Amino acid sequence: MQDQKTVVICDDEPMLRELVRASLDAGYRFAEANDGIVALELIRELRPDAVTLDLMLPRRSGLDVLAELRKDEQLRDIPVLVVSAWPEKREEALEAGAWGFVTKPFDPDELKKRMEELLGSR
Amino acid sequence: MSRTSSLSLATRMVAASAVVALLVAAVFVGLILAVSALRSATEEEARSKDVTVATLELENLVLDVDTGLRGYVITGKTQFLTTYYAARPELKPAFTRLMELVGGEPAQLRRSKELIAQVRRYLNEYADPVLRFAQSESLAAGRSATAIEGKQRIDELRSRFDAFRTAEDALAASRARSAADKSEQAIAFGVAGLALSALFIVVFAVYLARSIARPVREAAEGATELAGGNFSIRLQESAPGEVGELTRAFNETAERLEQARTELEHQNARLRESERLQSELVNTVSHELRTPLAGVRGFTSLLLRRDVEPEVRRHYLGVIDAQARRLSELIDQFLDLRRIEEGHLDLADDVFDIAALIQDEAQIYRAQSAKHRLELELPSEPLRVRGDSARLRQVVGNLLSNAIKYSPQGGVVSVAARQDEHAVRVQVRDEGIGIPTSQHPRIFTKFFRGNVAASGIAGTGLGLAVSRDIVESHGGSIGFTSAEGEGASFWFELPSADRNGDGAPPPGNRSNE
Repeated sequence: MQDQKTVVICDDEPMLRELVRASLDAGYRFAEANDGIVALELIRELRPDAVTLDLMLPRRSGLDVLAELRKDEQLRDIPVLVVSAWPEKREEALEAGAWGFVTKPFDPDELKKRMEELLGSR
Repeated sequence: MSRTSSLSLATRMVAASAVVALLVAAVFVGLILAVSALRSATEEEARSKDVTVATLELENLVLDVDTGLRGYVITGKTQFLTTYYAARPELKPAFTRLMELVGGEPAQLRRSKELIAQVRRYLNEYADPVLRFAQSESLAAGRSATAIEGKQRIDELRSRFDAFRTAEDALAASRARSAADKSEQAIAFGVAGLALSALFIVVFAVYLARSIARPVREAAEGATELAGGNFSIRLQESAPGEVGELTRAFNETAERLEQARTELEHQNARLRESERLQSELVNTVSHELRTPLAGVRGFTSLLLRRDVEPEVRRHYLGVIDAQARRLSELIDQFLDLRRIEEGHLDLADDVFDIAALIQDEAQIYRAQSAKHRLELELPSEPLRVRGDSARLRQVVGNLLSNAIKYSPQGGVVSVAARQDEHAVRVQVRDEGIGIPTSQHPRIFTKFFRGNVAASGIAGTGLGLAVSRDIVESHGGSIGFTSAEGEGASFWFELPSADRNGDGAPPPGNRSNE
């Protein structure tokens, strides 16, 4: 593929960031954030094609990040896939502006498929 | 039984009733006295009339004697002497009657004595001698005597009688006045006494109403309030005696009920808090387990379904191994907690070098974070302590893990250990977010995580609780200093195995059994 899509991975657990990276496989460019503030900085700077977002992030929570993105006209259309260990937060996350919700632990193929759907529907 | 010095209500009621009874009795005694005084005044009045009648009778007798004498002397006819002789013997009993009737009144007694004396003089000095003279000598001589002296004497006597009766009348009038005065006084006394009794009874009734009826009614209303659940109600404790005791007892009861309810509410709140902490723990545990589990499952799936190069495969296997170990560590920690809660923390009893242990542990954590710089400050000679090295390794690991976890921006984490006089002291310092003063008292409480849970830093809230239990089981102590935003410095001390030879107390089993 000529134009590689950029994905920002937001998770405070390095191992899980690596797992997301490995699951999505080649064909993407990755940037990683280990807390909410770094996540917002990266998204503003890179204008990525998609974001994977953990809800329990240090400093600014995932829901905070979603709210910030929604406020910003230029960032509001970036698809965000929430990856969380809290299935009960699904409704709240979708209401806050998430495009999709994947529960941890996740199936790597499922994650890849969801990401492709997200980017295709854009 | 009464706890106050005031008279009991029963005593007061008996006293007040006695006062009313005395008052009524006094009124009656006064009235009886007045009635008897009135009656004796009436009797005096009647006697006064009798005295007047007696003097009139006496006067008539004297006049009969005089008339009989005079008639005989002037006419010489003896039938006139019938009157004389009829009246003459009656005089003596008439004297006696008069004296008896006059009785106790001294002035009248004196006057009656004088009167009688004069009548006697008339008889002895005039009437009797004149009669004898007339009978024995001549009527003519008696005639001249009666004409002059007799008339004088009789006139004098009559005026005496008149004066006596006037005095007696005056006396009777004054007695009647005094009787009237007395009866008026008695009526006034009776009316005043009865009015006073009535007033006193009313006052007593009001007092009873105020001191018994009102407090009792208030107590009844208060009891209704209490029954309705208003335990903050209190009664005024001003009532005397038994009713006062009732209101005090009521207030004490209400106080106890209120305290009991407050205690129950606090207990309830504590139970709810502990329930909240438990459910938070379930969430935390599931989340804590889910992260390494996600790694194990994710990387296993990748290995199974995708073609990966041997080098990458090795790396994935390493990750899976590390996450599996992390899982078993977590499970160990939960089990530790259960053991501590049930009081079964079994400790080994070895002598070992804690400095070497710290070095090992630091090596492991140094590899975990690139953002942190781990600095060690250890003495060259071994720091020998006695106890369970695996458990103490857990404590050091906990403090190191916390130092890294709670300084997400990175920075220096320094670990120092040294030999003090009788103890080995280990200190782990970070430059992280610190602990607000308000959370200091609860920092070793199980499951307590303060506001770090909201900031997204993972943890079970068990590490410090478990660490404290382990250190204290070794006869040591654990503590910290910290301020919000200025990092934290945790330390623990263990009895040295060197300075006291092998005299350091063997690690105690904190079991209750």
